[in-house]
Amino acid sequence: MSAITSFFVRLAYYLDSSERYHRAKEFCRTLLEYQHSKLKFYFDIFMVILVVISVLFLLYEVKHPEELILLDAFIQVSLVIFIIEYLLRFWIYSDNHKLFLERYDYAINNNLPFSLGRTLLAILKKKLEYVISPLAIIDLLAILPSFRPLRFLRIFILFRIFKLFRYARSMKTFTAIITEKKFELFTLAIFASFVIFTGSSAIYIFETQQNPKINTLFDAVYWAIVTMGTVGYGDIVPVTTEGMVVAMLLIIFGVATIAFLTSIIVSSFQSKLVELKESRTFADVDKLQNYIVICGYGRVGEVVAKMLHEDGYKLVIIDNDESKIKLAQQRGLIGIVADASKSRILGELGVGKRASQIICATNSDELNVFITLTARSLSKQIIIIARVIKNTNKKKYFLAGATYAFSADETIGLMGAQYITQPISYAALDEMLTENTGVIFDMLTLHEHAYYANKPVESLKLSEKRLLLFGILRKNETPSFQFNPAPDFMLHPQDMLIIMGRKHHINILRKLNDQGSI
Amino acid sequence: MRESKILLFGFNRSAIEIGTRLQKQGFSFTCIDNDASLLPRAKKLGFDLMIADYSDDETLLSFGIGEDVTFVFTLFEEDVQNVFLTLSIRSLDPHVDIVATTHTKDAIHKLQIAGASTILDPYQICGKRIYKLITQPEIMQVIDATIFGEADINMEQITITEHSPLNNMLLSECYPTQNYNMLLIGLHDKELKKEFIFITEGHNHKLDHGDILVVIGKSAEIERFKMDFSL
Repeated sequence: MSAITSFFVRLAYYLDSSERYHRAKEFCRTLLEYQHSKLKFYFDIFMVILVVISVLFLLYEVKHPEELILLDAFIQVSLVIFIIEYLLRFWIYSDNHKLFLERYDYAINNNLPFSLGRTLLAILKKKLEYVISPLAIIDLLAILPSFRPLRFLRIFILFRIFKLFRYARSMKTFTAIITEKKFELFTLAIFASFVIFTGSSAIYIFETQQNPKINTLFDAVYWAIVTMGTVGYGDIVPVTTEGMVVAMLLIIFGVATIAFLTSIIVSSFQSKLVELKESRTFADVDKLQNYIVICGYGRVGEVVAKMLHEDGYKLVIIDNDESKIKLAQQRGLIGIVADASKSRILGELGVGKRASQIICATNSDELNVFITLTARSLSKQIIIIARVIKNTNKKKYFLAGATYAFSADETIGLMGAQYITQPISYAALDEMLTENTGVIFDMLTLHEHAYYANKPVESLKLSEKRLLLFGILRKNETPSFQFNPAPDFMLHPQDMLIIMGRKHHINILRKLNDQGSI
Repeated sequence: MRESKILLFGFNRSAIEIGTRLQKQGFSFTCIDNDASLLPRAKKLGFDLMIADYSDDETLLSFGIGEDVTFVFTLFEEDVQNVFLTLSIRSLDPHVDIVATTHTKDAIHKLQIAGASTILDPYQICGKRIYKLITQPEIMQVIDATIFGEADINMEQITITEHSPLNNMLLSECYPTQNYNMLLIGLHDKELKKEFIFITEGHNHKLDHGDILVVIGKSAEIERFKMDFSL
């Protein structure tokens, strides 16, 4: 191994193990590339402002060529920023040391000769790939004209506007359309150039002698394009019959070409628009914290979403039925048309990161179990609430990792049977569950300095306050729930009192309880 | 009560759940559906399933509606069927108890007009439960474990008899829970129209025979209470 090779190998290993190097690169990537990073968002805004101002200065300079110092300074500064950005992007485009080590390890492990030249060539090729990518070319063109020797390229400063493509997501859609419809556009371009070529040569042949306005082939091409684009300035008009025939044919073909072009772009744009909207929604979801994902916007999902939304919870709804999602969006909810059985979707929605709860409320056990399993695999902490369709499947939900699972049919069965034997206690149960009459269950937690902490239950004087103590939850004891505690039962801090009564009566108790701490 | 005749229209999961519970409590009941393909499943589960066209009044009468049928459940997946059946049965017998299930919000009102005695909305119940689990998980867990669950805490209704010492007492005087490990949730007064009044509403009510108390507690405690007050 030559000394140069060993130097490169050592350098590569050094970089690979250097934490500072990795941190720096990671930071640059967050700044420039990572779609969802906040840093990139601010950086993008900064760059957009810079671009717009520098273009405005350029326009100002057209009429005021005498140079202002401030202006000049600004242009210099923006130039430096652009150059740094270009170089950073160039740097983070690929990891040279990784590429190098990959090849080196491969050669060592397989007992093959290691060629330094070829490896460096591969690295260079990778970097060249970046240099010739369209966005990098635009970046370069935005920088070059600012150098004095290249002043004639001044018009290219306008390329800075194209730089905006980098910073705005919707702008990227245009580039995406063009790349996606490459084939169609290419076909169309060939057809159009064929028509232009034929048209302009025909007019050139027929009219150069007769028409004083057509002197060169350039005039002919200019005329052909103006005619074909149905613009027809009228500065050059055919004077011979042959020329007029050419003009007529050119107009017909021109209209056809333009219609073709429009339809390609419109259809492609329409399909992209849906995606764009969706990515907007995903971006909205990205901003949320501690939200609840509801899978399935059927009747159950609807009821839950409505109640939670009214309480101010943040919700994200997925359903594969577009009309249901539309309904959700009309009600001011964030809805996404997606197949929840695709595990990718749940990950993208932040299940496992920022979502705190997920509700499986589709009307299929298979799907609900699958969502449960996926969500649990993404996060150990997330609370999963699942609606069981067929009661025999309930066990599977808990196996899959659901926090709560229950079936509506079970409740129906219980209530139905209760109705026959005990219609009044059925009515009581119904009102307790639906809370239609305004009597609710609520919970009062005794904190460290609460008024009622370390006092007996009777001191609460609940019947005076028109409340009923259902029981006390003491989390660190077993059994944790004490039903209907005796009057001399001592209340401890951290106890949770489960109380029945009207909301405002409960609030009175809550207020009294907090007063002790003041 | 054991001889009351119960009909379950629509053989589906809700019917199976209700049926299982009724079987446990020793009630006899009949399931009715018009889909003959459900027969093997019913047989496997040990249910009597009759295949009949319930849209025909003659058929309904032949089941004993208007005579000895006291409870009817309409459990179809389709609201249209439920509403029609409720209406048919109500027109044949103004006194029978009809428990109707529904699947849409709009149908609740229609079922009420059609004459259902009570309406069970599984989606509403399910949705409410999920909502409670998110907003107040501890409370829901407690309710699930006690009232719905296996724990020996039940909800029961107690009718006040003529000879009970509770008769003619004021509710505030007889606040009965002190001596028994149970809670008096509320009561039903036959003089008042409302079906059920929570105790927390604070009416100081005079108890008459025929009034019904609803209590929650351990079965043994409730039995003791009943014995002590000769209920």
